[in-house]
Amino acid sequence: MPDRIRIEKACKHFGTLKALNNVSLSVRAGETLVIIGPSGSGKSTLLRSVNRLEALSSGDIWIDDDHVSNDGANIRRIREEVGMVFQDFNLFPHLTVAQNIELAPVRVKKLKRSQARERAVELLARVGLAEKHDALPGQLSGGQKQRVAIARALAMDPKVMLFDEPTSALDPEMVKEVLDVMLDLAKGGMTMMVVTHEMGFARAAADRVVFMDQGEIIEEGTPEQFFTAARNERTVKFLAHIL
Amino acid sequence: MSTKSAEEALFENPDRRTRALIRVGTAIAALAMLALIAAIVLRFYQAGQLAPRYWEFFAWGSTWKFLLSGLIGTLASAAMAAAIALTVGLVFMAGRLSKIWPIRWAAVALIEFFRGVPSLLLIYFCFLILPSLGFKMSSYWMVTLPIGLNTAAVVAEVYRSGVLAVPRGQRDAAVSLALNGWQTFFDVIFPQAIRYVVPSLLAQLVIVVKDTTFGYVVTYGELMQNAKVLVANYNSLVPVYLIVAVIYCLLNYSLSKTSRALNNRMGAPATLSKAGGRLNRHAG
Repeated sequence: MPDRIRIEKACKHFGTLKALNNVSLSVRAGETLVIIGPSGSGKSTLLRSVNRLEALSSGDIWIDDDHVSNDGANIRRIREEVGMVFQDFNLFPHLTVAQNIELAPVRVKKLKRSQARERAVELLARVGLAEKHDALPGQLSGGQKQRVAIARALAMDPKVMLFDEPTSALDPEMVKEVLDVMLDLAKGGMTMMVVTHEMGFARAAADRVVFMDQGEIIEEGTPEQFFTAARNERTVKFLAHIL
Repeated sequence: MSTKSAEEALFENPDRRTRALIRVGTAIAALAMLALIAAIVLRFYQAGQLAPRYWEFFAWGSTWKFLLSGLIGTLASAAMAAAIALTVGLVFMAGRLSKIWPIRWAAVALIEFFRGVPSLLLIYFCFLILPSLGFKMSSYWMVTLPIGLNTAAVVAEVYRSGVLAVPRGQRDAAVSLALNGWQTFFDVIFPQAIRYVVPSLLAQLVIVVKDTTFGYVVTYGELMQNAKVLVANYNSLVPVYLIVAVIYCLLNYSLSKTSRALNNRMGAPATLSKAGGRLNRHAG
């Protein structure tokens, strides 16, 4: 499989803080890559630079033939194909669930209302929330909000999905319903980058696991290698904390 | 969203002793108010202000018709000034938040100018100076335009505070869905910002209504101006202004009532909940 995402020597500074220090990484089409690491390790920054929510200080990011980190690139056209799911859901609270999902297809892809509506119904069924069509986000549980957020991202038919700690703000009993949707996506061949602390998910869904610390990639491998035979001492220490 | 009201959150429920104290305090305050009103009425009586000749013209339809036409003048001017303020305020705010510095500076200059200069001064400018430069406008616009622009500057800052109160994650989500700047603002940010600032906008609206009383400067026929005419005709200062004050109070009271109803129908403002209240972490 060809590389879908290529990150080359990515650096990002916030003042004197080096959030990303010379990170190179690629993700193959259809691959699920899980990024783990302590907080402040730069994993969210890395994820946010893939759709340029964060601009790199130096280095390059490519998605297929699109040069994301090039200032001249049509970033909005690239973002149409990159879905993102956030820790805090970021649903639009003034719009209903269906309107949240229909907004971008109608505004950006110029879909007809009726088409967008059909698609929203379909996606809501897929994430198990068909009956929440007309609810407002404030009326949903955390797990339901996150599933709507995933449906909203999928409505743009992205070829890449980015997940930024999608279950970290959830009560424990709601984590599974979100992970199940993500697992389905991964099995369906979506290219995914997932920042998470859910090691169970990493084991079940990841093709590869990357461990980051202090803005650098310390170690990477298959979940098998990673969880049973981590070599680097920082990785071992982190795993000891979290498992 | 049924969060606790501010009072519930700030104060404990009073116990029996406190409730008794509150009742006693209320009774004393009510008595004091009654005494004050009685004293005022008495003074009016002694001063002869309650004499029928100061009041009898309120029994005539023509008096009320005249006041009504003033009220309509007030409403027409206030409504247009509010419309100007809400739209021009949006333009001012957009300029103030622009990434292009000449636009931003121009917006800051305009906002500070119109916010700093009293409406009355602007009215004088429209009344005394513009005509000599060849710009003629009706007395309606001489009142309405200055008040509208004055208020626009304040409204721009109110809007801006609302926009800045919308959690950053909302913008992230909109942008990551490939919405452009315009769509991000008008579909996602601004509708939420408005909900935060409705009470402040309402307060401005009440000020607009009161500012139209400057109509007397250019003899624009609003409520206050017409009241002045009545005072002059019937030599009846206190009764006329008393009645007019009551009309203004009722007007502004009903204004706040309708806006509140409107606000409730629009839905309570998005509370800073888990859904988006937290700032998005940069690193981590």
